[in-house]
Amino acid sequence: MSLKRINKELTDLGRDPPSSCSAGPVGDDLYHWQASIMGPPDSPYAGGVFFLSIHFPTDYPFKPPKIAFTTKIYHPNINSNGNICLDILKDQWSPALTISKVLLSICSLLTDANPDDPLVPEIAHIYKQDRSKYEATAKEWTKKYAI
Amino acid sequence: MSLSITIKSSGGTKYEVSIDPSITVAELKTAVAEKLGIEAERQRLIYSGKVLKDTETVESYKIQDGHTIHLVKSAAASGGALSGAASSSAANSTASSAPSSNAIPSNIAAGTGSFNPLSDLTGARYAGYAQLPSASMFGPDGGMNGMPDPEQMNQMLSSPQFQESMNQMLSNPQMLEFMINLNPQLRAMGPQAREMLQSPFFRQMLANPDMMRGMMEMTRGVGGGAQAPPAFPAPGANPTQQSDSSDSTQSQGTPNTAPANPFASMFPNGAPPINPFALFGEGAGGAAAAPADNRPPEERYESQLRQLNDMGFFDFDRNVEALRRTGGSVQGAIEYLLGGN
Repeated sequence: MSLKRINKELTDLGRDPPSSCSAGPVGDDLYHWQASIMGPPDSPYAGGVFFLSIHFPTDYPFKPPKIAFTTKIYHPNINSNGNICLDILKDQWSPALTISKVLLSICSLLTDANPDDPLVPEIAHIYKQDRSKYEATAKEWTKKYAI
Repeated sequence: MSLSITIKSSGGTKYEVSIDPSITVAELKTAVAEKLGIEAERQRLIYSGKVLKDTETVESYKIQDGHTIHLVKSAAASGGALSGAASSSAANSTASSAPSSNAIPSNIAAGTGSFNPLSDLTGARYAGYAQLPSASMFGPDGGMNGMPDPEQMNQMLSSPQFQESMNQMLSNPQMLEFMINLNPQLRAMGPQAREMLQSPFFRQMLANPDMMRGMMEMTRGVGGGAQAPPAFPAPGANPTQQSDSSDSTQSQGTPNTAPANPFASMFPNGAPPINPFALFGEGAGGAAAAPADNRPPEERYESQLRQLNDMGFFDFDRNVEALRRTGGSVQGAIEYLLGGN
């Protein structure tokens, strides 16, 4: 069941991927993928390419995939281990969601962070108090790790 | 054997290239450089979440025929220029991605079943759009109860993004189907409805802000002409009301509908006039649990009925009938009651 669905998503991604993300299996194991997200042009992450790892549970799509950044990124909702604080990856997951949609959601999280539900409170604090400092640091990290 | 692949750049431009799968990635980059004018050193090609290495062959990445490779320009482009070009490139990508999304309705293809036109709005192609209608525009309960304030509407109508997305929406057959199914009037019209929505005339009408503004005035004329209380539901929010109010408009010959009724020519055989806003209003509201007004009349017209009672109209049935005819307008109802019909 889960394999069939994962295969289907893979075919769709190959044929018509979203313009800012790409994903596929790392090796022969279809339950382990990597993905890349191009930093949205209207964000401090512009120009960067961020990599993520995706692990599908065996009962996918009834349980959400585990997705984490493998590229370091300065963001209030993403910690230094690459864990992402995103509701649809947790309690708001729905089997109707696909990897492509989740990646797009992560893209929009990059454009619009959610400092009220932070994973890294310090970054959220700077984001709220001194937006230009946050943007400068995010740009610097992007340059350092993602370009 | 040659392989046809699509190169999708971060700016939104796409182009197809036919290559021999045994060439190296470096050679592929040279070919791309010739076509797109981006030096090979500045290209990063990404497929299946992986950055392609120059020394590997295209074959080794198992790229399949018809698949897409992403191209990212690296650092050399200055940050300032990037953000400046962002909005225009976003618009480009919308335009160029339209045909492909028509060919393969991605939602269905992903096996998600039902078609949700709004999911597109959260897609990355709209990520840069600040002028998407905000939630507040659709009223406190997410439905389109009452039109957004005219100023806002005008602004939205004249924004090119809005027109772009309108066009895109109308060229998507699934979207048309969805809209038609949502609106009982359109459903009743059968294939004619699709024809109308796809007709160049209708398209042109949507693309013309003046025309839309005219329509809005008209809507206001029909709905709010008689100082409708704020609780008055949007015209067309419920089919019986809509037909009632348009009936009364026609019989009274309200001047608002007289000048250049843009629908007249579209309905040679006298189909009921359709308010295109109701169409989109319902589309928007439908996904967010449209507030279908199935409440009993005494509840729906509670305040109006109380007013009528206070004025000395005690006949409940006639009061409801009058209010129903006038779409909930107290003043209209009084006129109707006094008219002795």
